[in-house]
Amino acid sequence: EKKMSADPKIVELLSELHQLIKQTQEERSRKNKSIIFSVPASPYYRTKLRGLYTTAKADAEAECSILRHALDKIAEIKSLMEERRIAAKMAGVYSDSDPPRKTMRRGVLMTLLQQSAMTLPLWIGKPGESPPPLCGAIPASSDYVAKQGDKVAARVKAVDGDEQWILAEVVSYSHSTNKYEVDDIDEEGKERHTLSRRRIIPLPQWKANPETDPEALFSKEQLVLALYPQTTCFYRALIHAPPHRPQDDYSVLFEDTSYADGYSPPLNVAQRYVVACKENKKK
Amino acid sequence: MSDPATQALQPRLLHHQAQGASGGSAGSTAAATPSSATGSSDPARPGLSQQQRASQKKAQVRAFPRAKKLEKLGVFSACKANDTCKCNGWKNPNPPTATRMDLQQQAASLSEPCRSCGHALADHVSHLENVSEDEINRLLGMVVDVENLFMSVHKEEDTDTKQVYFYLFKLLRKCILQMSQPVVEGSLGSPPFEKPNIEQGVLNFVQYKFSHLAPKERQTMFELSKMFLLCLNYWKLETPTQYRQRTQKEDATAYKVDYTRWLCYCHVPQSNDSLPRYETTQVFGRSLLKSIFTVTRRQLLEKFRVEKDKLLPEKRTLILTHFPKFLSMLEEEIYGENSPIWEADFIMPASDGAQLGQTGISASVVSGSPGLVKGLSSASSLSSLDAGVTETITGEKRKLPEALTLEDAKRIRVMGDIPMELVNEVMMTITDPAAMLGPETSLLTPNAARDETARLEERRGIIEFHVIGNSLSQKSNKKILMWLVGLQNVFSHQLPRMPKEYITRLVFDPKHKTLALIKDGRVIGGVCFRMFPTQGFTEIVFCAVTSNEQVKGYGTHLMNHLKEYHIKHSILYFLTYADEYAIGYFKKQGFSKDIKVPKSRYLGYIKDYEGATLMECELNPRIPYTELSHIIKRQKEIIKKLIERKQSQIRKVYPGLTCFKDGVRQIPVESIPGISKCAEETKEVKDPDVLYNMLKNLLAQIKTHPDAWPFMEPVKKSEAPDYYEIIRFPIDLKTMTERLKNRYYVTKKLFIADLQRIITNCREYNPPDSEYCKCANTLEKFFYFKLKDGGLIEK
Repeated sequence: EKKMSADPKIVELLSELHQLIKQTQEERSRKNKSIIFSVPASPYYRTKLRGLYTTAKADAEAECSILRHALDKIAEIKSLMEERRIAAKMAGVYSDSDPPRKTMRRGVLMTLLQQSAMTLPLWIGKPGESPPPLCGAIPASSDYVAKQGDKVAARVKAVDGDEQWILAEVVSYSHSTNKYEVDDIDEEGKERHTLSRRRIIPLPQWKANPETDPEALFSKEQLVLALYPQTTCFYRALIHAPPHRPQDDYSVLFEDTSYADGYSPPLNVAQRYVVACKENKKK
Repeated sequence: MSDPATQALQPRLLHHQAQGASGGSAGSTAAATPSSATGSSDPARPGLSQQQRASQKKAQVRAFPRAKKLEKLGVFSACKANDTCKCNGWKNPNPPTATRMDLQQQAASLSEPCRSCGHALADHVSHLENVSEDEINRLLGMVVDVENLFMSVHKEEDTDTKQVYFYLFKLLRKCILQMSQPVVEGSLGSPPFEKPNIEQGVLNFVQYKFSHLAPKERQTMFELSKMFLLCLNYWKLETPTQYRQRTQKEDATAYKVDYTRWLCYCHVPQSNDSLPRYETTQVFGRSLLKSIFTVTRRQLLEKFRVEKDKLLPEKRTLILTHFPKFLSMLEEEIYGENSPIWEADFIMPASDGAQLGQTGISASVVSGSPGLVKGLSSASSLSSLDAGVTETITGEKRKLPEALTLEDAKRIRVMGDIPMELVNEVMMTITDPAAMLGPETSLLTPNAARDETARLEERRGIIEFHVIGNSLSQKSNKKILMWLVGLQNVFSHQLPRMPKEYITRLVFDPKHKTLALIKDGRVIGGVCFRMFPTQGFTEIVFCAVTSNEQVKGYGTHLMNHLKEYHIKHSILYFLTYADEYAIGYFKKQGFSKDIKVPKSRYLGYIKDYEGATLMECELNPRIPYTELSHIIKRQKEIIKKLIERKQSQIRKVYPGLTCFKDGVRQIPVESIPGISKCAEETKEVKDPDVLYNMLKNLLAQIKTHPDAWPFMEPVKKSEAPDYYEIIRFPIDLKTMTERLKNRYYVTKKLFIADLQRIITNCREYNPPDSEYCKCANTLEKFFYFKLKDGGLIEK
């Protein structure tokens, strides 16, 4: 909180956000009032009702635009904070006032990853608008370049020579060599990898809303790469059940030879950490 | 049965039975006593108790015809045929043979001559001619007691006890001879031997420690105190020899006196009603309790543990969960220097009439009735006493306005401690309620404790911990069986190198138990263990958390729960064979490869795994493990605040050091800005080498002093088992030498503090007139002289 108050830009954004939320509340109470009076019966009332609906629609649109505005503010705040985090990381200073630890405790990292999945914004399109790339299961366009600080699934060679998909953060992209530089998210790894484009899968930047955009979700039985709970590695998995509501997780079956049928029992993985599996042949 | 504690328990159990069977006496009155709780008839121990046998025998003898009674008394009566006959007991010329029982034998005729002096039986019993039947019966009671004492003298192997029995035997014989009342004479003094007595002290303790609790919990503590007192009254004390061996004290005189008093006034009279009887807890005080508490506690807990299945279910929880803690808290008050509960005028700070039946009991003590029994007889009468109690207490309070307050009682015990007021003040600032608002960011700081999340989740009911196991005698409920299957699955999945059949066998073995971690009704982890109470350790068999629930601190929280479970059950060692992946985990949980449990205790008990490493964890019963990281965090916060306060008082503030960021690993202390200036102010020897040499020289002189021998090395636990329970900061000359070598003594203050602590520890543990304390006194004078001589302290 100290951090926030120190940044006037964020304080300003927060107060704007607060204002928008207040406006929304006002819009809502107005809308409720207008509908209460509607009593459909005779032609007179039908005309009257049409008028009321028109007003209500306008109100709803107004509310909608305020809400979008508020969401933009939130996105702006988040990106500002992300910028600060990257800057702090570059400078090598710790953002917390507490004395530095060598590495962040594993459990803390896991909590951060869960929080990041939970606060991933939900994509809300305008009527008729289809979800953009990087919303839910929709892949990035072929020429997409992940920004610095973006989280990606990265295929790296492990010490024992095996290939592994890890959760990583983009450090830079070189247009001359078409290669990414990424950091293992797990600080214990402390390794910087230089990887070609095809070894990188950007993670979704919006959640897809199962109620409005189910086509932007992976469907049952589809093969994906999913982050195994409480780890920083992606493994092949089958979708067991897609989410039903915006805040739900996927239920997936990980390929796991230690189980008799070759798959783990269903485990939950957030939309943020489920990406399409490119390779089709099993290892 | 080589365990001395087990052996010592046997006679006590007999006493309990006696109490249960005879009725009316203390043992059968309170439901909380182990005797009635465990059931008074134990088929494993047939036969009658000493007391039962004695009273049966007395009834038999008292039912004899007069002639036979006289014959029996004649045996213990002096011959009055003439003044010169020195015969002091008629001896039957036709002694009964082994086959002819006493009962069937005809009474000897009054004219029958004595085998030793030749005078008739009549000459021996002439004084009884006009004596009432009651008095005859009283004398006959003494006769039976004398006979029993004779047997006791004969059977007893311990010299000290034998002597006392023999003394009592002679005393009673003399009393029959003189038709007098037995009075124990000599230097023993008469009861009560110390004030306040144990009972008062323990009741004060309950007031002092628990009066802030809710009435129900307070009642629980009160019941525990009753039970403890009752147990003490029927406890068999260790002999002076055992005491000497256990405590390694040269001088056990004081204990021997108490032991003799106890035999004469408390123990023997329990089965020998010719002697006046007193309750241990009413005639003895803190000093006896100090001598016996450590061993008694161990034996008590052991006994309850062994017999826990026989306890009434409602008592079982009380005893198994609260009693160990109760005893640990009591221990602090018994051995603590400044405990207020032993003060003659102990008064509890007023607490809105929230008093227990304390004075109810003391009142009955004063009135001379068998107070404890009366006071303890019914818990329901306690509430009716409350009103009166409150009144007397407030009345007394006016007389003594400077009564002890809790703050006084919690007085600092360690040198250099921080005043309580300051700590309280700081506590206020760290528990700022405003800081509790908002999201739990504490979980996200890199310094969050490993088990913080797990602790929170448990508090919110997201996860649960249960100790479960299979049973062959009882039908297990379905939920437990499902959980056991769940555990078996988690273990076999997480420990792929263990054969599944083997895991199943152990998880379902009734001797093994498993602490299960439950989330959403499903098992997500657990620790399978086997307790070996007789060997004093528990084997950790399997330990796992399902992979998708790892790194949440569950493993740590599981182990902490297991530690607390074992403290409750008085097992303080964990042993386990850890494979290479588990070593890291066990190290984090306080396990070490350094094994302190002797091999003989676990060899053949614990399952040995090839290629695995044996690891051990010693538990400290004072640590609340599941809260430990939280407590430490709080302590850190307090210290941080205290440092901040100190810093604000310092006039000059130097900027922080930056050299570590540049990769410097170590710098000399003096190079820290401000330090050297500080040192000047305290007149410290500046050159570390000069100081080192001075201290080295001084230490060498102290070590060669003729009275330094008791302090040369750390006290061995084998020689003084309770030493480390009493002495919180042990130190010795060998350790000091090592510290000096490691350049620990960077200031003379540190060195002097350690020296002084050697002396203080010695005085705390040993009686003032002991050889050790004499050495300490001389040594203290010596080193202070040397310190002054060397200019290390002011002359």
